[in-house]
Amino acid sequence: MKDKKLGKKVKQFLEDKKYFQINSSVNDGIVYLDGHLDNWENVVELGHKIGQLKGVEEVVNDVLSNDSVKAATEPKIRLAKKFYDPILPKKADVVIVGGGVVGCFIARELSRYKLDVVLLEKESDVCGGATKANSAQIHTGVGESFGTLKRKLCVKSWPLFDKISDELDVPYDKTGLLIVITKDSLSKNIPGPFRHFLCKYLVPLPVWITAKMAKDKPKIVWKGKLLKMEPYLSEKALVGVLMPNYGIIDPFRLTFSLAENAIQNGAKIFIETEVTSINVENKKISGVVTTRGTIDTDFVVNAAGVYADRIAEMAGTREFTIHPRKGGTVLFDKKTDKYATHQLNEFKLPRNEHTKGGGVLKTADGNVNFGPSALEVPDKEDTSISKEDLDNILEKYATVFSYFPQKSVITYFSGLRACTYKEDFIIKPSKNVKGLIYAAGIQSPGLTCSPTIATMILEILEKEGLPMKEKEAFNPISKRAAVFRELTLEGKKNIVAEDKLYGNVVCRCEHVTEGEIVKAIHSSVPALTVDAIKRRTRAGMGRCQSGFCGHLVAQILARELGVPMEEITKNGGDSRLFIGKTKEFLAED
Amino acid sequence: MNVDTLVIGGGPAGLAAALSANKNGVKDVLLIERGPELGGILPQCIHDGFGTVIFKERLTGPEYAERYIQEIKKTGINVKLETMVLEIDRNKRVIAVNPADGLLDIQAKTLILAMGCRERTRQQILIPGNRPAGIFTAGVAQRYINIEGIMPGKKIVILGSGDVGLIMARRFSLEGAEVEGVYEIMPVPGGLTRNLVQCLQDYEIPLHLSHTIVNIKGKNRVEGVTVAKVDSDMKPIGGTERFVPCDTVIVSVGLIPENELSEMVPLKLDSMTGGPIVDETMETSTAGIYAAGNVVHVHDLVDDVSTEGEIAGKAAARFGELKERENPIKVEAGENVRYVVPQIIRKKSFEKNVKLFFRVKEVQGNTFVKVFSDGEQIYSMKERVVRPPEMLSVILPSSVLEKTQVVKVVVEKDNEKSS
Repeated sequence: MKDKKLGKKVKQFLEDKKYFQINSSVNDGIVYLDGHLDNWENVVELGHKIGQLKGVEEVVNDVLSNDSVKAATEPKIRLAKKFYDPILPKKADVVIVGGGVVGCFIARELSRYKLDVVLLEKESDVCGGATKANSAQIHTGVGESFGTLKRKLCVKSWPLFDKISDELDVPYDKTGLLIVITKDSLSKNIPGPFRHFLCKYLVPLPVWITAKMAKDKPKIVWKGKLLKMEPYLSEKALVGVLMPNYGIIDPFRLTFSLAENAIQNGAKIFIETEVTSINVENKKISGVVTTRGTIDTDFVVNAAGVYADRIAEMAGTREFTIHPRKGGTVLFDKKTDKYATHQLNEFKLPRNEHTKGGGVLKTADGNVNFGPSALEVPDKEDTSISKEDLDNILEKYATVFSYFPQKSVITYFSGLRACTYKEDFIIKPSKNVKGLIYAAGIQSPGLTCSPTIATMILEILEKEGLPMKEKEAFNPISKRAAVFRELTLEGKKNIVAEDKLYGNVVCRCEHVTEGEIVKAIHSSVPALTVDAIKRRTRAGMGRCQSGFCGHLVAQILARELGVPMEEITKNGGDSRLFIGKTKEFLAED
Repeated sequence: MNVDTLVIGGGPAGLAAALSANKNGVKDVLLIERGPELGGILPQCIHDGFGTVIFKERLTGPEYAERYIQEIKKTGINVKLETMVLEIDRNKRVIAVNPADGLLDIQAKTLILAMGCRERTRQQILIPGNRPAGIFTAGVAQRYINIEGIMPGKKIVILGSGDVGLIMARRFSLEGAEVEGVYEIMPVPGGLTRNLVQCLQDYEIPLHLSHTIVNIKGKNRVEGVTVAKVDSDMKPIGGTERFVPCDTVIVSVGLIPENELSEMVPLKLDSMTGGPIVDETMETSTAGIYAAGNVVHVHDLVDDVSTEGEIAGKAAARFGELKERENPIKVEAGENVRYVVPQIIRKKSFEKNVKLFFRVKEVQGNTFVKVFSDGEQIYSMKERVVRPPEMLSVILPSSVLEKTQVVKVVVEKDNEKSS
């Protein structure tokens, strides 16, 4: 009955807005769309419009466009490598699909209980998707709309990070976020002096109030003090609102520590293992088929990021569509450290509704970065960055400074946010398949919310019938391996005396030693690629971008894994760095 | 440990500096090198053309390095390989580390910085697109082929016509790879003329001037690049894009003096060269710290690098003989001159002659190189054509500069000829 009414409403809407080429249907509050539109932008816009209609629970948007052909590209199935050939267990109590921060957090929390937990990741490393390419911010929830699950979890999550960073030994820095209000913060349509007055005295108030409601302790900072706090700010800055609890975390380290801690407590994590189908019997999950074999299980946690809709489809149910939203980031040399002590965000109205605006950020290692931008793309694998995006990022975020050395770019990258058309998280059991639990639609602030998403998933699993008996031996503490560059001179002396490999500095920009690289290769989630080594140790993350250490890292990988250098890849799959030996190639011709 | 002269970097500048310090009487010279062998970039430069000035021979890179290494072996110079400097300060205390000795705490009386340079990357010139495997800087690719014996790819596109890029175009061709072309954003080639002839023309590799790469495509490995013509502001011209399938992109877009240690001291740097400001003895803004070679400014010829090392080594040996630099002569870059090294000259130098190295800003034909001392012309030499990639030099006797305040180098059009 409800569906019938909603169906009429959607059809009426499509007619009113002249979407004559679009068909719609409704089932259990979920709207299904198909048809054809001119371009992807229109497809996404339609999805959002339908998502906003009252009574619509979710949108499955199958509408195609001329540029959406790419969306059909399937991810490459990765084959087992000689040097990584684990044997999958025949059965498990829970299988988690996806080794991002959310999947790894769920694995770690489940490892507190007497359960056989298995996590599957298709990439050559955990932390391979959105988790590795986001702003790394721990948000307080100030930017989220009221009434969303995102906001509710965000406000609950950020206070947990002191403990998380302690337990898991993850660099976490409460840099604080400084919202900078300038003469240009409001529309130029408002006359000069009046706009100036509004910007200075009125705008800070709502900002302050929302921050207060997110349980932060906001402070208004007047211009004199503002310029003392951030001496490189533009003269057009009028006033700032400081949110001292905004933080930055190392998302790589957080994910690795979670994965390692989960394994330490008995969970099993398999990389380069792709789910190809899901077995369902009598509308109940019965197993997961992967490129390495089948695991029988009653429960699947779908934390597959941009592929969460595909995973659901494998279980024969379609309850939402994930549309990837690309965010580009430009990262600068550590030498620019002094230009920003806090995270900086120039307040601007009107705002882009699907990004909190990004800003001038810092990494946990002190690199200033600008971003992220927001761009809807049809391809779930499209992490390229365009010239327009690069130019926009550089131009948009530099305006908060009087001067910024933009030439000191060391790299740039894009990540894909896994967004639903309701633009909120989906953390609930499937309506149609028992045992399939969604941790889906995890976009910003997903990194911040990962601990409470995990808690919610555990509650759902218990309710759905998974017996949860606590392990007495659970150890929440995970210690990260020694980081040479962070040691004191005494510490450096001692570690080299203990292990000569720490005396060989491989990455000269970031002072990463062979000892650290070898440790990463043999860690419980092994680093098997050049990029995996980079994310664990920072080798190659500096200003020369692996010019000096790339060959050394490849050599160490080849030696430790016992394979020739030609088999070493940048990031798994077909990303081979070399095509073969010299001369042998000449003989071929 | 205490040493008299510590040389950081075992490439051509460091080798020459260590030898020269030793020959000029420094007893206790320590040369430290990050890599597992001496010679810096030379061991991977297996083509010839090195040493034409110093040895009057055409040597290969390894041969050139070997001459210095053999000399070093005959002396009592202490060499430490696989040794990385972690910290340095203005009191010439250096913290370094290597697997054999562990952490080293070295106090030097004089220091010679010879860290060389690094390659500018794809990221620094903001080429958009994906980040697949198969993008290498030219020097890195050279290392893979010549030292590791490994082929980075089969179908190659080269961005930048600097010397390393040109040499790699030839090297890839010799290994049986296909070099589709060399793309240069500037309207003029970036490398030496001899390399344009010997590395491109002889192998029929096309050079596309005023072109750049506007996109790199490939999810895992490079699948191709989009190239486009650029206008006079070096902005890509819409409609001129062309997709070039390839598996490898070689980026040869310039070298940057490696001055992280200089900044740690901190030394005064020249924003034009990217290296420390030096005087005619290669002494930096901190007394007793010298710098030589590509760490000061990027050279075309290794012979010039060695010469600078020699000057620095000699000066380190004579440290203390000269008083503080008071009001040194300023060296200025005038018309069509991008920079001049040294940037300052002592009034009473022990060097009989001062050699000024400089580069022009743009190509110019029928020119005069002129040097002015406080406005008065003291040198003039005809140059048929001057090009930015080719470093120029002028030798001046120190005696003519005794009362000078400012020396200015200019490159002017030969007005008689052009009119």
